[in-house]
Amino acid sequence: MEARYQVIVLGGGPAGLNAAKYAANSGCEVGLIDAGTRLGGQYWRHTGQEDFDQSVHHDFDQGSLLMDAVRANKRITIHSDTNIWSASIINDEVVLRTKAGAFITQRLIIATGAYDRSLPFPGWDIPGVMAAGAAQSLLKGHGVLAGKRIVVAGTGPFLLPVATGLYTHGATVVGLLEASAKYSWARNSVELLRNPSKALEGLGYLMELRKGKVAVRFRQAVIAAHAGADGLLESVTIANIDSEWKIRSTYKLSCDVAAVGWGFTADTAIASSLGLALEVDATGSVTASVNENQLAKQSNSAIQIYAAGELTGIGGSDLALVEGAIAGLSVANSTRDLKVLKKRRKKLRRFAQTLTKVYPVLPGWNSWLTGDTTICRCEEISYSDIKAAQEEFDASDARTIKLMTRCGMGLCQGRICGRAIADIMDSPTHERINSAARPILSPITLGEVAQEGLL
Amino acid sequence: MITFTYEGLPLEVEPGISVAAALIKHGERVTRFTRFNSKPRGIFCGIGVCFDCLIEVDGQPNQRSCITTVKEGMVVRVQHGS
Amino acid sequence: MSQSPDAIVIGAGIIGATTALSLTNAGLRVLVLDRGSVASGTTSAGEGNILVSDKEPGAELNLALRSRDAWFELSDDIGGGFELEAKGGVVVAASNSGGLQELTAKQRAAGIDARDVTSAELWDLEPYLSRDITVGAFYPQDAQCQPMLAAARILQAVKRRGGEIITGADVQEIQSQHGVVSSLVTNKGSFSAPVVINAAGTWAGSIARSAGSDLPIAPRRGFILVSVPTPHRIFHKVYSADYVANVASGDADLQSSAVVEGTQSGTILIGASRERVGFKEGIDYSVVRILARQAIELFPFLSDVQLMRVYRGFRPYAPDHLPVIGQDSLIKGLWHNAGHEGAGIGLAPASAQLLTDTILERSSFMSAASFAPSRFLTVSS
Repeated sequence: MEARYQVIVLGGGPAGLNAAKYAANSGCEVGLIDAGTRLGGQYWRHTGQEDFDQSVHHDFDQGSLLMDAVRANKRITIHSDTNIWSASIINDEVVLRTKAGAFITQRLIIATGAYDRSLPFPGWDIPGVMAAGAAQSLLKGHGVLAGKRIVVAGTGPFLLPVATGLYTHGATVVGLLEASAKYSWARNSVELLRNPSKALEGLGYLMELRKGKVAVRFRQAVIAAHAGADGLLESVTIANIDSEWKIRSTYKLSCDVAAVGWGFTADTAIASSLGLALEVDATGSVTASVNENQLAKQSNSAIQIYAAGELTGIGGSDLALVEGAIAGLSVANSTRDLKVLKKRRKKLRRFAQTLTKVYPVLPGWNSWLTGDTTICRCEEISYSDIKAAQEEFDASDARTIKLMTRCGMGLCQGRICGRAIADIMDSPTHERINSAARPILSPITLGEVAQEGLL
Repeated sequence: MITFTYEGLPLEVEPGISVAAALIKHGERVTRFTRFNSKPRGIFCGIGVCFDCLIEVDGQPNQRSCITTVKEGMVVRVQHGS
Repeated sequence: MSQSPDAIVIGAGIIGATTALSLTNAGLRVLVLDRGSVASGTTSAGEGNILVSDKEPGAELNLALRSRDAWFELSDDIGGGFELEAKGGVVVAASNSGGLQELTAKQRAAGIDARDVTSAELWDLEPYLSRDITVGAFYPQDAQCQPMLAAARILQAVKRRGGEIITGADVQEIQSQHGVVSSLVTNKGSFSAPVVINAAGTWAGSIARSAGSDLPIAPRRGFILVSVPTPHRIFHKVYSADYVANVASGDADLQSSAVVEGTQSGTILIGASRERVGFKEGIDYSVVRILARQAIELFPFLSDVQLMRVYRGFRPYAPDHLPVIGQDSLIKGLWHNAGHEGAGIGLAPASAQLLTDTILERSSFMSAASFAPSRFLTVSS
């Protein structure tokens, strides 16, 4: 099968949905490819049940309207449950290979979103410890509570809806532990004033949590997880940390789930496969470089590839919506509403930047590691394995560590540990960018690869 | 409601949820044991990125339980190693 | 090094490492330079093959036979630690070709332990082999190692025995005076030694040119497919007989034939493709498809095994498919040990020994004449 579209949008979250809508309304025939079973991406995850409980979603109404609009739009063909396993540029066309065949276009919008950024710590591989996004996904996407006694920890505004959702659905949220300081917004209060809806949203969550007597603590972090006799999570060690995230004192809390979130990181593998120019932002994240029309930099002038949403820099769903719209208009050579959208984008980007200042991830987390802390979960490589390789092989860069220890060579291909290794090894920009490449983007069997007719 | 089996045990769930969610609903967290150190693992990222929640579905290993939707009659087994 | 080294080796891959060890064991103080880190070139893009089975009788086979045993001696010398295994190779052929038995007879005459096997024996060696494959040969001498660990461990030994390694040192110029090598200019300073060895693999031509000489080494691209970890079902290196023909081919077009083996970590490696496309970036998925298909023809169970990653390397390729081992034609004191194509790992310790013997003017296990850089000089009257 070879499906050609005038425009292909990758990703069915806020950015992708808006990009498809704006491109289609400007006259383009659009193919929307989404790995998920239901549209919405991560941000608007839902169960698809008719009696869906919308109290879990802050702005699901907006999302729901957009999803309906995209589904109803005759110029948009939606391909759900569709995973791209490799991408190349062949004869001036973008070729996206899936199990069902290839999707081909000369105009592509990449809006593949982000996933939780993880920091390794002792015991983080015990069942029961999970990303904050996992607890959220279980609840929003499957209507299931992750556990009964839950600690929510990490940094960033995402912890608020996670904790609130769990509490309002009946879990005991033992605490919400934020690594940043309580008054970290004080220095950036202007941004809060500029974005009152966001301030109100945050306050709303806090009030809800206070109603439930959920303890919200600052300058605290889960620094170790402990298993019971059954091998499952039984308790966590929580530290009071200083401004450099070094441990000052500790205490323990029993829990069956620790939902830990340290912000987000975008999957840049497809961007790398297609030769997009990548850069590293101030937080150390690899992002796709785009111009003011969301057009990415790459060397083939016959093709236009746009990037919208988290791939251009973590910024949340409102920014993703705006970037998607700009990309959708630009791909259709339309300038309508562009000025207003760009203004909005500027404002939201500024807010996103502020978030990185209010909720930084500081290198002090390295000090929580012990020798037997698992760093590469897939290949079971510990921190002491890495230190040994550094010493034994004089390895001073992440790539050599990977080759010598197999760290990052397992099934997730470094999606979870790669960033941590880069931080531990203090990788320079070009190394972070090189490690973004993953020739096989999603699981595919050799039999599927071997089929005839694949470009 | 639909039924699937986990380690031979029949479990009932609403249609449309993932294998990982279904197991957690029934109090099961462990989807596999790792291949070198036989350590238990379960859901971690929850969205199909980390490959930790692998489980054997209908004889096929390495299935990500967090993004595999439960189907009637599905046979799910804990995965040991690879 | 507080004093000037006796020899400088350019390249910290498998050739550079074994060369440095060989010279160190002969009593020289050796400095190894690499513009990257240890094994950051082609050494990290291979499978770790140590084969005698794929060589046609001739100089390269003699080198390979010696080198295979030399690997086990080296392992004993430095205390192992790089997964060296006398795995054995199984070569298979389409049942209608009688060519394999002719080949094994020739190989036995040349000193290779090549054993024809019956179908039953073949399937005993490899129970998961397709039953369409009925003709095979077994080579107990074929071996395997982890090449990056090997290079790293060898260089550790070099350091322990008085050598030095400087990574991140890019050789920009090799200076000579009156046709004799004098010093190297790098971004980490200048170094000099009476013996300079070019072990820069696929980039050996560029190093030769930085000295004002030349070496016709070009890249021959190859891809390797890596499966997800699976239970062990492949017990030797298994490859199809047309592998030998492809190695020897001078065609620029794609040459590919199946090479399949398991690793200690449970993954299955699938090769092998050869193309002369320069240092082309990116992955060519049509080649990936061919490799997958060929592997499935040998082992049908692979059809259901997931592909996890693909990596790419550039083999250093001389026009006559032989390595270059010997002194530079123009510059005295500049030596080459490069161009081992897809056999770098296998040939490394013997190449190193041969070069060391040549430099120190001692007799060696074979003549180095076939490998001399001077063979590339065009005949002028």
